[in-house]
Amino acid sequence: MPLEVLLVEDSGGDVRLTQEAFHAVNPAVRLHVANDGIEALAFLRHEGVFVDVPRPDLTLLDLNMPRMDGREVLALIKNDASLKTIPVVILTTSDADGDIAKSYQLHANCYLRKPVQLNAFESLVKSINDFWLTKATLPQIQ
Amino acid sequence: MKTTSRLNRKVQLESYRGLLEAAPDAMVVVNVGGDIVLLNVQAEKQFGYRRDELVGQKVKNIIPEGFAERIIADGTRSAAEALAQQIGTGIELIGRRKDGSEFPIEIMLSPLESTEGILVTAAIRDISTRKGAEIHLAQMEGRYRGLLEAAPDAMVVVNVAGEIVLLNVQAEKKFGYSRHELVGQQVKNIIPEGFAERIIADGTRSAAEALAQQIGAGIELIGRRKDGSEFPIEIMLSPLESPEGILVTAAIRDISTRKGAEIHLAQMEGRYRGLLEAAPDAMVVVNVAGEIVLLNVRAEKEFGYRRDELVGQQVKNIIPEGFAERIIADGTRSAAEALAQQIGTGIELIGRRKDGSEFPIEIMLSPLESADGILVTAAIRNISVRKLAEANLVRKLDELYRSNEELGQFAYIASHDLQEPLRMVASYTQLLSRKYKGKLDTEADEYIAFAVDGANRMQRLIQDLLAFSRVGTKGKDLVDTSSEAALLQALQNLRGAITESGAQVTHDPMPAVLADEMQLTQLFQNIIGNAIKYQKPGIPQVHISAARNGGDKWMFSVKDNGLGIDPQYFDKIFGMFQRLHKREEFAGTGIGLAICKKIAERHGCSILVESTLGQGSTFRFALAGSERKSYIPADTPTEEAVCL
Repeated sequence: MPLEVLLVEDSGGDVRLTQEAFHAVNPAVRLHVANDGIEALAFLRHEGVFVDVPRPDLTLLDLNMPRMDGREVLALIKNDASLKTIPVVILTTSDADGDIAKSYQLHANCYLRKPVQLNAFESLVKSINDFWLTKATLPQIQ
Repeated sequence: MKTTSRLNRKVQLESYRGLLEAAPDAMVVVNVGGDIVLLNVQAEKQFGYRRDELVGQKVKNIIPEGFAERIIADGTRSAAEALAQQIGTGIELIGRRKDGSEFPIEIMLSPLESTEGILVTAAIRDISTRKGAEIHLAQMEGRYRGLLEAAPDAMVVVNVAGEIVLLNVQAEKKFGYSRHELVGQQVKNIIPEGFAERIIADGTRSAAEALAQQIGAGIELIGRRKDGSEFPIEIMLSPLESPEGILVTAAIRDISTRKGAEIHLAQMEGRYRGLLEAAPDAMVVVNVAGEIVLLNVRAEKEFGYRRDELVGQQVKNIIPEGFAERIIADGTRSAAEALAQQIGTGIELIGRRKDGSEFPIEIMLSPLESADGILVTAAIRNISVRKLAEANLVRKLDELYRSNEELGQFAYIASHDLQEPLRMVASYTQLLSRKYKGKLDTEADEYIAFAVDGANRMQRLIQDLLAFSRVGTKGKDLVDTSSEAALLQALQNLRGAITESGAQVTHDPMPAVLADEMQLTQLFQNIIGNAIKYQKPGIPQVHISAARNGGDKWMFSVKDNGLGIDPQYFDKIFGMFQRLHKREEFAGTGIGLAICKKIAERHGCSILVESTLGQGSTFRFALAGSERKSYIPADTPTEEAVCL
């Protein structure tokens, strides 16, 4: 059974690194990508081209993006009764205290900083897989 | 004989009558029997009788008392003798008219030899007018004396001849004479100069004119007492109409005390003015009533007034608020108390010039004892320039703070945003290296290696820059902190380097201090990290200690046995991007000690190094101690020296 993961990320480089890292640690993960907040919400609400996409088991959300940033997306997800049960992991370069506090206030499930070194990044992705997609029991997709 | 004699007498008297009628006074000739033998027209008028009603009558009818007695012989003397005693003297008596009314008269007697014996001629003057005047004067004097005695000053009344006619008790006391010694005497005896001259007529003016010029003016003269001593007086003259002509009333005030005070003030002023004028500030001396009593030229210039426009004026005119209020007594305190509170403090107020313009001043008050009571000297400094400079300084500081703030923000944002693309460069060059190393040619491997190394170094540089900028922007308040906990955290962070180098890091028990724990950790970490890193072959040894540094400060020392530093670089090593070694020898960005310096400065101290090249280094910094006992986590070893 495939694991559906939505990555909301505007940087193509980060998207590719994340894809490769997941591919290396767990081939069962299907990584879907939204390039900004608008796309992410359309994906989650099955709008437009996203009519037939699956509901993600986990969402990885970057904070700083064009059009609609991660904070707005997070707020909308956690205020939507049908979406709020999807775990949202913030994955960002920001180490600002304000961003961390704000994210948890908006009910982010976890806040992770992108490490600088490639090895560290790969090991972080492995940790995500091991915990959220392996050890943690997630709600059943209806 | 008798006829002849009568005839003879008649002839004689007839000839005498002419003389009588020519006299201005009433004339009555009386014989020694007291009978009127002759009288003139004036006598008829004076007494209201016709001549024939009086001739042959007793003189007592018209002068009831005092006349006949004087000329009539009695047991003890002859008529000639009795008369002789009275000749030539004016005798005041009472005359009685035919209608019975009486009036005051003065008679002058003279003898007249006649065949019938001695006759007495009496010249009788009606002195009603004079007597009235005398009574008036006496009454007036009575009233006037009351006024005189009631006056607080010595009072002397002088006639235009310069003679004292009246004086009061104060005058007696003041001059040391009794009244009778002075009345009728020349006023020059008690006021030798300047008084009599003023009221006495001379060739060019009448007494009235002389006096008129002096009325009401206070004239300062010298008084002389009976004992010859002199004293300063001030006299005030006023005229007094009297039957004897114009009299002059002089109110005489002893001004010894005032004069003394004036002399003292003048002396003091003389001395003090020199000081005032020498002062660099505007100086104003004010009495406790808030009136300006003295000022210097600088004050004139500063406020735009001439001296005479300010002396005697309220100081409020030039310092509208905050000065007078400070020195004037109110219900709750005396002037001395009011003043005492203000002495020596610089008070910033507003000065007002004559043209109404205002400017900022600073005043310093000091008390000045004087004959007139406490005076307040105010040194007034125009602080316009200083105020302007202060405002300028505040603005500049503001700008500096803002630009510093912006710079800090810029460094933070720039290094932060640079990390994003750099992560891409580093990650993908690493990925390249991992996937394609050995699959391309050796040149490609070398190129990739340089790219990876450059990206890695740039990452460190940006991280260190971020750390540097965080010292200012992310600093926490200085609170009670266990320096031991901070040190242990630093050693934990350095665990890899310590293990790798085999370093022996030891430390004494560490005190509680006032610090930002994160920054203190970084401070220890950077210095200890350097101590392990810049080593010669052998086992690195680092020892951290803390000792009381006078007062409440703790001096921390981190001593190593490393390479040591040439003293010429002691300052340089704390600068940004400053490195003493080639990259091939020791990697680094040259920011580590700059961060240490910045952290130390944020904690209110400096960081110093002592070192001899080849003999190791000791870095020192001092932190304020905390009242709290050092906090040591439960799982921390508590030996004196901890070996890691």
